[in-house]
Amino acid sequence: MFKNYFKIALRNLWKNRTFTALNVVGLTVAFGVALLLGMFAVFQLSFDRFHDHGDTIYKVYSEDSGPYGIEANTSKSEPFAAALRDEVTGVEKITRYSGSGVLLTYQDKQLGMGTAYVDPDFFEMFSFPIVKGDTENPITSESSVAMTEQAAKRIFGDENPIGQTVTILRDEVEVPFNVTAIIEDFPDTSSIGFDIVLNFKSQNEHAYARTVGRWDMENHEVYMQLSEGLKPEQFEKSTADFTQLHYKNEIDNAKRDGFEPNADGLYRQIKVLPLADVRFANFNQGVVSVNRTMPYLVLGISFLILFIACVNFINMSIAKSSQRLREIGMRKTLGANKKQLFFQFWGESILVFLMSIGLGILLAVVLLPYFQTLFRTQASLATLLNPSLLILLIFSVLLITLIAGGYPALLMSRLGTLQSLKGKLQVNGKNRLRNSLMVLQFGIAILLISGTLVLWDQVEFMRTKDLGFNKDQVIAFPLNGKLNDQKAIELLRNTLQDKPNIVSITASNNILGIGKDGNRTTSVLGFEHKGRGVDTHMLVVDADYVETLDLNIIEGRSFRKNLVSDSLSVIINEAMAKQMNEDDILASQITLDDASYNIVGVIEDFNFQELDQHIAPMTLFALPNWNLRNVYVKVTSQNLEQAYDDVKTAWNTIEPNVEFQGSFLNENIERTLRNERTMITMIGSGSILAIILSCIGLFAMSLLIVAQRRKEIGVRKIVGASVSAITVLLTKDFLKLVVIAFLMATPIAWWTMNKWLQNYPYRIDLNIWIFLAAGGIAVLIAMLTIAVKTIKAATSNPVESLRTE
Amino acid sequence: MKNTLLSLNEATRTVNSGSNKVTLLDNINLNVEVGEFISLMGPSGSGKSTLLNCIGMLDHFTDGGYTFLGEPVHSMKEKNRSKLYKEYIGFVFQAYHLIDELTVYENIETPLLYKSVKSSERKAMVADMLDRFNIVGKKDLFPIQLSGGQQQLVGIARALIGKPKLILADEPTGNLNSKQSEEIMELFAQLNKEGVTIIQATHSESNAAYGSRIINLLDGKIV
Ligand SMILES: Nc1ncnc2c1ncn2[C@@H]1O[C@H](COP(=O)(O)OP(=O)(O)O)[C@@H](O)[C@H]1O
Ligand SMILES: [Mg+2]
Repeated sequence: MFKNYFKIALRNLWKNRTFTALNVVGLTVAFGVALLLGMFAVFQLSFDRFHDHGDTIYKVYSEDSGPYGIEANTSKSEPFAAALRDEVTGVEKITRYSGSGVLLTYQDKQLGMGTAYVDPDFFEMFSFPIVKGDTENPITSESSVAMTEQAAKRIFGDENPIGQTVTILRDEVEVPFNVTAIIEDFPDTSSIGFDIVLNFKSQNEHAYARTVGRWDMENHEVYMQLSEGLKPEQFEKSTADFTQLHYKNEIDNAKRDGFEPNADGLYRQIKVLPLADVRFANFNQGVVSVNRTMPYLVLGISFLILFIACVNFINMSIAKSSQRLREIGMRKTLGANKKQLFFQFWGESILVFLMSIGLGILLAVVLLPYFQTLFRTQASLATLLNPSLLILLIFSVLLITLIAGGYPALLMSRLGTLQSLKGKLQVNGKNRLRNSLMVLQFGIAILLISGTLVLWDQVEFMRTKDLGFNKDQVIAFPLNGKLNDQKAIELLRNTLQDKPNIVSITASNNILGIGKDGNRTTSVLGFEHKGRGVDTHMLVVDADYVETLDLNIIEGRSFRKNLVSDSLSVIINEAMAKQMNEDDILASQITLDDASYNIVGVIEDFNFQELDQHIAPMTLFALPNWNLRNVYVKVTSQNLEQAYDDVKTAWNTIEPNVEFQGSFLNENIERTLRNERTMITMIGSGSILAIILSCIGLFAMSLLIVAQRRKEIGVRKIVGASVSAITVLLTKDFLKLVVIAFLMATPIAWWTMNKWLQNYPYRIDLNIWIFLAAGGIAVLIAMLTIAVKTIKAATSNPVESLRTE
Repeated sequence: MKNTLLSLNEATRTVNSGSNKVTLLDNINLNVEVGEFISLMGPSGSGKSTLLNCIGMLDHFTDGGYTFLGEPVHSMKEKNRSKLYKEYIGFVFQAYHLIDELTVYENIETPLLYKSVKSSERKAMVADMLDRFNIVGKKDLFPIQLSGGQQQLVGIARALIGKPKLILADEPTGNLNSKQSEEIMELFAQLNKEGVTIIQATHSESNAAYGSRIINLLDGKIV
């Protein structure tokens, strides 16, 4: 029986090889791409899921009432973690966490190392298993260092790392550390990343010693493990006394300033966020929102593409079933029952699907390296090699095969014996299904195309928008060497002094956009001004900052060349001026704990943060000997490449042991658009695939329709129909479907894109042309697809077509 | 020994064509004994095919009684009915209705597959049948590679392989020339001698003459 089915399946597939090929190609591409996209999504979604205690680990943050509503604050102060553990029940374990880069030296090697500064609980909470050395107290000592296998390999090669001594540059001193433990390399799906782990107390003076016992200096994150069985909401509620005790001032001030309390009616509340949500959380826009749109969008696209390919399969199978009516009828008269027929036809579908899945996996393997580069992902097929996931995968493939292959099989097995024998098929109902499915296909394609266009438009807008500073002529790079910042800047100034293509040099503790090193920090300062709480971003700058970045002074003056004379002066931006609400802003002061600062100038607002955020109040300080992290060099516009090389050479002579990580600010801005770019590539390739697959289906349908209407075409030509009239006759039904798809998809696309654009305070206006363009593209491509066959049919000799009937 | 194979009692078939009720078969009374060779005659559209299909249980009477081997077909469930015809009835069609994608051998074998006959037994049965119809040399050909007469031979072989008690042949020679027709009719006569009951629909007087009884149909009635 099986052999009989198998034979007839192969013979049928071969007989209809055009359609088999169209189906196999479509399904192969769909399965291959779905596999890649699914892998990407699973990879994203599996972030931080590998920790054994992951279910009970939380990131601690607070909801603070501020002038702009609730702000989520993940920065915590030095005494916070210990106090929380001691004063609130339910804290099983807790660790402070601060990540930064350090310069590590071993013999003659100097290496930049990603460093996690943590408390000893860290290794008991997170599953970063120690494979060698001290498994009990790897970093309890402040002179111990634990490192990953990879880092050890980089530093020591094949030597035994345990017991070795390395030095780490801290406060301009080489401090020796003893290697106590080697940590197993962790999966790429960890949002906590590091090469080495040090005790929290091993940080530099500025980050640790200075902050000890201070509740007002917040500079690190805190992770905790909740006691078994305790609900996070319960825990959050039980922290009320704790906040009352330690944040009384802040709470009283918030009440006094009339800020809105949070959903629980509190002005400051300790909250915890599950570890698995951390990667998807947005702490920057009010209440923390956890957003897994990206991976789900990608999953969604992969399903849509599979759907489109399956629709092609269903449509072709149903359309082709008329050729097998006699076989169906005959088999029934020979004693086949419905079940047997169903399994026969379903089996044929499975054959096609198996073939396509096999080829699809092959395709995915071949495309994987390109995919990884294009989407900057570490996701690989190994991501999917997890038993429960595999079962899910196999199950969904079976389900798809059951539906796409089973539905036509069911239709065929249900046909009446006599009707099938007579070759009669009630086609009307099935055409309606076919048409609806095709409308859906093209609707999806149009949705994705218009999404791509809108996204692209918005990203172009963000890329080219005037941000209020000179991004084309300014090179920025991190001060990543051993020299003291001020010293390094001075040397750089001296070296580049005579270069005609260097306009000016400055530095600040902040970066605009994202630099090559990927590091960035923000410092926000809160103080009282005339009995009100005021928040501002704090930027410490070197001389010529305003000039180097071409910021516009709208009131007052810039900092003087002799910066020391301005150490008690500040320049504020318009947003800050507005917040302070003074009649004579230049006569006002900002009073902090240590000193009072005169406002000497107001600069025009510029986008120092990304375009998904409003321009916040900001204050420029000219504090001496501050930790300035980044240099900015403005160069003349003539020969940018030469200028870049000059700066690089200068830096290499000043700091010969470290890499020059400079880039123009417009490249830094481009880096901030990475997520959007990835999304464009994703949706863009999705839309291209969607339209191609839809057109494969359309092409197949046009083949069948032309074949079915051959005689009609012949008769019409004989009675005088023109080629164009016949082409129109044959195409208009399909074009109608595409137009309906357009009408249905556009409102959905509009609504979705509008919603997405709301994430950006600076955004394009949606206009109908984008959507018309998307629809136009779809119609045009569809038309070209059908044209091939129909024009050929319309121009063929009518006598021939009649003779074959 | 007179043995009743099937009997029709006031069997009627009506269909709704638009708002009209059309009677295709009108109160047919018929007894078929085992071993009979009946020729159904009548002009085109008189209801011959409809009657054969209803007897063959591919179609059903809308009224009246139909008893097959003592079992009341008219009140039977679809499942039992198909079991019944799978077991006892073989069809031969004017248009042969061979499955194009299967070879001669496979076409003949198919009914056995649906009866779940064991592989070795199947081989023997098909080989017997090929032998008997003298088409051993053609067993690996596909239907389109055969002449009409040869295709009908395969059709008959396929109808016979399940060892049916009744063969229903709807204008089995309608697409054949007179020489081929004669061969097929000889074959039927031979089969009938071996005990197979045959009901054939035909236009041809000479074909009808092979039968042991002629029934004339006109507008769905026996005349
Ligand atoms: N399902 C049906 N619905 C309506 N009319 C039918 C149907 N089946 C057959 N007929 C009609 O019944 C009549 C008898 O048909 P048929 O049994 O094929 O005649 P014959 O085989 O004697 O030529 C014809 O007029 C035919 O059009
Ligand atoms: Mg007939």
